[in-house]
This record gives sequence, structure tokens and C-alpha cells, in this order.
Amino acid sequence: MTNEKIKDAVKARYSQIAERREQSCCASCGCGISPITKTEAIGYSREDLECIPEEAAMGLGCGNPTAIAELKLEETVLDLGSGAGIDVFLAATKVGPKGRVIGVDMTKEMIDKASAIAKSNGYTNVEFRLGEIEKLPVDDRSIDVVISNCVINLAPDKAKVFREAYRVLRTGGKFSVSDIVTERALSNEIRNDLNAWAGCIAGALEQQQYLRMIKEAGFVDLHVLSNREFYVEDSNNKEMVKLSSITVRACKRE
Amino acid sequence: MHILACPVCKGDLQLTVEEERDGDVLSGSLFCSHCQHSYPIVGGIPNLLPPDEAEAQD
Repeated sequence: MTNEKIKDAVKARYSQIAERREQSCCASCGCGISPITKTEAIGYSREDLECIPEEAAMGLGCGNPTAIAELKLEETVLDLGSGAGIDVFLAATKVGPKGRVIGVDMTKEMIDKASAIAKSNGYTNVEFRLGEIEKLPVDDRSIDVVISNCVINLAPDKAKVFREAYRVLRTGGKFSVSDIVTERALSNEIRNDLNAWAGCIAGALEQQQYLRMIKEAGFVDLHVLSNREFYVEDSNNKEMVKLSSITVRACKRE
Repeated sequence: MHILACPVCKGDLQLTVEEERDGDVLSGSLFCSHCQHSYPIVGGIPNLLPPDEAEAQD
């Protein structure tokens, strides 16, 4: 299975979600619940959610409220895989009018949706770029905080994503992401299942390997801030898979 | 639109504005002189997918 095939499957799934033809994205989210309730369930406070356009909260992801809470005024933030923009808009209220939040996503329908929401709600400190998180269209050492919410698992080359995040961060900048990882190696059947890739299962790395890759990219002060385990049935393979949704923080060396 | 870089070589991009409103570039392009590639801006959104990716999406 090629990286291109994986990316195409992921794009197809998420463009459908952007256009509301498909509701469920991730293994970690439930189905049939309203997006706001779902979004609240993955860790965001109702108070924070009330500050942002409702249509940006699609109930996707595993939640990254810690990263959002720690943002400071005037910071420049980059969201890897920004989707409909929930974390970009939450971050935008935290960094204020002199701060800046950039969302990068490879799915055109998601970027279109997020941009339309930004425009209709008058956001002046956000921008969205169609791009790949493995080849970021962002200058070296230009970002204070890189955030990402349940997206890196979808990238075929995660080591490259971590190296790119390191490159764009300024010295002392923060890498603050949540993602899905596994306890054990997944079976080849799951790894080769494109549906399981787009559903945030097949691309998940073992936690130790995931953390090692972050260190190998150059990051220091690596901490796992939260770890929530859950089981999901891989419908194609009739197998229960144990996954963890983790929140990780690391720094670019001073 | 700042702190932009070419997704391939990370070099500077040269902005050409075709249509602008209230300081926002609605259409135009971003050209990388090193890669000799022009990234389009359509509907105010810069398409900075690497060239092979951009073709795959068309």
C-alpha cells in the first residue's frame, strides 16, 4: 500500500465529513451525538465552545484542551490538520488580535469550510492554507506553538511531520499535540485496511515508537500529559483493538 | 499572509496579486524561484500542496 493511496483515502473520508455526507471520523468518537456534545465530551469546556462558531466544532478528534488552555496573548500558533477550524478558532481567542493562528490541512473541502467560517464570523487573526503536514508551507523558526488534534496518526510518514514541526518552531517553542496511539503493534490486516487508516486506527503507532520519533526530531522535555485508553472494534477484521488517546507536550531546545 | 515558505525547498515565495479586497488577496499566485513552481491563490486560499499532491487533487 503506497503513501499516496493512504492520503487519497484520508482525503476522501474527510472531504465527505466536511460536506456532512459522513459523520464519524475517528475511532474515538461516538456516532449519532450532536457535534457540540461530542466536542464537549472530548474535553473542551462549554465556556470555550460558546466563544467559537458552532459549525467549526464537528466533533472530530480526540481533544486538545490542554494545548489551547496554555496559549498566551500574541503567540503565533500553527494547527496541523486544522479541519473545520475548531482549534484554530479556540486558539484565536486565546492569542488575541495581535496573535496569529495558521491552520494547515490537505483536504480542500475542510479548508474551504474553515475559511468560510472565519470570514462570516469576522476573524482577523486566523488564516488557512491548503498544504501537507509532512511538507509544511511555513517558514523556519516562525511559530511559538504547534498544536494538532488527532491528525498525525493519519500521516503515513510521522517522523517527517515531527521534523517539520521542529523546523518551523522558534527556539524554545512548544509542540503540544493529542493523538491516537496503540499499546501493541497492529496486525498487518488492519495496517493494510484503508478504511481503518481514515478512521484513525491503522495509522496509529505504538506509543513508545511515537514518543521516540518525537525525541529523534530533536524535541526535549517530552511529557505525556494524559492517556485515555479505549477499545474499538475494527469492523472489517472483527477484532477488538486497544487504543489510547494521548496528549503530549515537548519543547524545541533553548 | 506571512511566514510562508515553499513546501518543497522552504524558500521564499513571491506574491503576485490578481484581485484584492480589504487587504486580503482573493486571487493570485505565490512563485518559488528555486523550484520554478507557482502556487495558486484561489478564493483567498493559497494552495500550497506540493506539486505532485496538487496534481493528484485536480
